[in-house]
Amino acid sequence: MEQDAQLVQQCLQGDGSAWEELVRRHTRRIFNICYRFTGNRTEAEDLSQDVFLRVYRTLASYRSAHGGFATWMTSVTRNLLIDHYRRTKRDRVTDSLDDAMPVVENKESSGRRPDEQALLGELSAQVQVALTHLSPELREAVILRDLQQLEYSEIQSVLAVPEGTVKSRINRGRIELARILQQMGVRPS
Amino acid sequence: MNWTCEQTELLLTDYLDGLLPADEQRAFDLHVNSCERCTPLVSSVMHATSSLRALPELETPPRLVYNILDATLGPRETVSGWAAFLAWLKGVASPKFAYGTVSVAATFLMLVTVSGSINWKKPKLADLAPSNIYRNTNREMHKAYGRGAKYVSDLRVVYEIQSRLRQDNEVPTNRENTTPESNPTPGRTDGSGPASPRQQNRANDVSSQLQVLAEEVPLLSGKLSLVSGGALNLLTSAKLGER
Repeated sequence: MEQDAQLVQQCLQGDGSAWEELVRRHTRRIFNICYRFTGNRTEAEDLSQDVFLRVYRTLASYRSAHGGFATWMTSVTRNLLIDHYRRTKRDRVTDSLDDAMPVVENKESSGRRPDEQALLGELSAQVQVALTHLSPELREAVILRDLQQLEYSEIQSVLAVPEGTVKSRINRGRIELARILQQMGVRPS
Repeated sequence: MNWTCEQTELLLTDYLDGLLPADEQRAFDLHVNSCERCTPLVSSVMHATSSLRALPELETPPRLVYNILDATLGPRETVSGWAAFLAWLKGVASPKFAYGTVSVAATFLMLVTVSGSINWKKPKLADLAPSNIYRNTNREMHKAYGRGAKYVSDLRVVYEIQSRLRQDNEVPTNRENTTPESNPTPGRTDGSGPASPRQQNRANDVSSQLQVLAEEVPLLSGKLSLVSGGALNLLTSAKLGER
């Protein structure tokens, strides 16, 4: 955290290698947030690039006293994701849950008994599909809490909402996710 | 504490994250264990949460970092001259690359040597021309085929000669073998064959000398006659052993 703040200071003084180090340290995390939110690798790559571009341009506005660089960067990412969601809402061909379900049913009805790795891969794909069917505010809350393992206070800072709202969104997000998974035929063993 | 289904749903996250006070957690557990509606709800949410947390962290796409750096810092400067050579050298100076290069070079040299494209005593640059390589390889292949064909032909002749010699040697042996064994020498019941004429003569000679000696020394005649008979038998059995 302190190292990030130091690198930011070096960046502001025109040190390109410090910026490169910051990019290398945070690219994977930002790419994963974008991918889990969109469910699309290409979109996630483009959005990750946009995030770093915006961070680079607004780096001078970062104040370490207001929180960690990672939290600030996550906040920028979240804002871009919501913008992207709103922008593409009209164009996006929304996959209904019914479209996703036959894939699962076909796999189940194939009669084959896949090994553990294949089972895990299948479950991951199903969870990802279910995740993209959550509303964006529930999705981001669940991603930040259960995938990025952020504390409630950090999520509160990223989403700029009270802690009670954060808890409520995470709670509703988890219940909704469980309901979608059940609809897809994924049940606890 | 009286616990309701609404409370279970509302405080599920607090329960899963371990944020409930001890008394509320006990009430939660008591209610969930006895409520037909809340049991599957809690179970399914726990499963969804654990599945979500088990999602793997994806690797960064290979070009993403460079794309970000190009988009923010601008395209990297093109290095030229000695700096470019040193950078290239740094890139290839790895044991893996060196091993690969040596393997490829060794394979190339082996192929070139086997094909006879290059005369190592007097190497010429023209030997590496594709047409020369083709011609030399073709020539070497024909020579190798010719040598192989000649070798096979020679082997065939040698085997032919050997087989004929074997046939010639086997003829008398076969004749001996065709002699019926159930036709023993007349007068013999022990199956032993007659001694050779030379041995027979020697035996006769020894026997006659012993008889002369017996006549000269009458006391020993009985014993000596026995000895002469034994010597004769000894010679006969020695002949049988040789055969």
